[in-house]
Amino acid sequence: MKSETADAHAAPLADVPAVDDPLRLADAPSEIAAALSAGAIGGAAGRLGRRLFGRRTAVVDRIAFGLVLLLVVVAVVGSFARPYDPFAVQTSSALLPPSSAHLLGTDDVGRDVLSRLLAGAGLTLLSAAAIVVLAAAVGIVVASVAALLPRRVDEIIMRACDIFMSIPSLVLALGLAAALGPSMLSIIVAMVAASWPSTARLTRGILRETMSSSYVESAGILGMSRVRLMLRHVLPNSLDAIYVQASMEISGTIVMISGLAFLGVGAPPPSPDWGSMIAEGQQYITTAWWISLFPGLAISVGAIAFGLVGDAVRSFVDPTARRSS
Amino acid sequence: MNDAGALLSIENLTVSLPERERIAGRGGDLTLVDSLSLAIRPGERLALVGESGSGKSLTARSILQLDPGLRLEGSITWKGSELLGAPRRVLQRVRGGEISMIFQDPMTALNPVLTIGEQVAEPLLVRGVPRRKAYARAVEMLDRLGVPKARERMRAYPGQFSGGMRQRVVMAAALVAQPQLLIADEPTTALDVRVQEQVLDLLEEQSRELNLAVLFITHDLAIVAGLAHRVAVMFRGRLVEEKLVDDLFERPEHPYTRGLIGSIPRLDLDPDTRLTTVEDYLVLEGGAQHA
Repeated sequence: MKSETADAHAAPLADVPAVDDPLRLADAPSEIAAALSAGAIGGAAGRLGRRLFGRRTAVVDRIAFGLVLLLVVVAVVGSFARPYDPFAVQTSSALLPPSSAHLLGTDDVGRDVLSRLLAGAGLTLLSAAAIVVLAAAVGIVVASVAALLPRRVDEIIMRACDIFMSIPSLVLALGLAAALGPSMLSIIVAMVAASWPSTARLTRGILRETMSSSYVESAGILGMSRVRLMLRHVLPNSLDAIYVQASMEISGTIVMISGLAFLGVGAPPPSPDWGSMIAEGQQYITTAWWISLFPGLAISVGAIAFGLVGDAVRSFVDPTARRSS
Repeated sequence: MNDAGALLSIENLTVSLPERERIAGRGGDLTLVDSLSLAIRPGERLALVGESGSGKSLTARSILQLDPGLRLEGSITWKGSELLGAPRRVLQRVRGGEISMIFQDPMTALNPVLTIGEQVAEPLLVRGVPRRKAYARAVEMLDRLGVPKARERMRAYPGQFSGGMRQRVVMAAALVAQPQLLIADEPTTALDVRVQEQVLDLLEEQSRELNLAVLFITHDLAIVAGLAHRVAVMFRGRLVEEKLVDDLFERPEHPYTRGLIGSIPRLDLDPDTRLTTVEDYLVLEGGAQHA
């Protein structure tokens, strides 16, 4: 509460002398930008948003953004409005095939598959996003520190990353998640632990490259400290590649989360996440195929959509790069 | 050489690339600059000329110790205190505030995601100048360097500027913290001739008005004649000649210098004459023993 009132007082104060000052824009946000380079992130995100569905966007990219938008809308709407209670057990209507009453059928204890799918969408997407953002954050911090430190320390940090990366990430995540106990949080922690080293490796390479550019050297010659150089000159100019990497990773992460849940280390049983739904339907695959098929399709759509978005982000960030397909 | 009035004095500077840093990793240390001595007085414009690879840029970069991989020996004193081996904190204070440097290519010397204003004011901000004052000084500096509508353009990004304008912005950022020495490493090589002239005029004007010493690195003798007080000629890592600019053009001593001056093409020459090169002079004068 206290800090809120303080902010309310601070805001108009900062605005008062700046009203008719042409320097206002250059003046005000750079305080924050210097600390977090949030200005650059916001600016790039805004540019991206405006171009998402523009005329110059390729059809594939528009489909990708459309799919992701659809998934997000489904996840948001699905968490409020569902045809049935996703947890309500009703043995009288168990294993019903898709029909007008139950569009995607029911599972072995009579729960509506569509309702569970909708309830799981938010869970899956949110945790995938959380994992990617957290892994990127950890990776960027480690990479920045490594790039700032002397060569030898940098080498040690990078070799540590290599050691982490030499363990297959599924095995690492599986072990960690099992040790932390079955919950979505432990999946997130395990996945972040398994995926930050690759982000750190990549980011550190990009940072080193940006550090050798001549505007960074020029700024250094004008007396900037190395930390300031990193936060204000190197990081904002390296973010493009990090966006691409992060958006590419979302699709892999969705698959990984589902895989972990399928193997039983995810959220405990009644949870409607897509991986455990496939696992639950496994023994009925020949008689009640719909229990496993639809969550499987949902995972595929999610992975493909985010994969395409990763591609699209890359073509936005670097229009000269050829599409990989 | 050892005059007390010198702002910067370099004595017996030897720059070498240690064996472990060499690409092949063997062949011993590679000497790049060999016991070079040079002094600059306040407000003096000294041109350092030489062909590419002669070590002129390295000499300049060594003053601010920009290449940590190189071994520097000798002594570089700035206003009486030794810069070689000085702690990072001291160098950071000197850089930008007392000695500034600008580079050849203004297209890559500015950060594309920060506004002009942010970049010109930054050297002041990191020195604790209040924001408002720093921005006012930045406007003043841009104005001084002939950037039109400086106040409005503070909010523009480097991508919205032409090459000549960017070099002015780069100079504004380099001069805003009032250094006493500006090292200009071929500042006009990437610009076209007319813009070149404007930038050089500006440089001379600033040097005169601010009593700013300039160490001007170039391979273009035509530029040197109009700008510098003194000229130092480098050849294969050594300083071969150092003179007042008029003396150098009238009585060049070293065969390489003579070669350089002789290879300036003349407009009144018969179009069919083969142009002379530095090589011709070196052979003629037997100056090739440097190899």
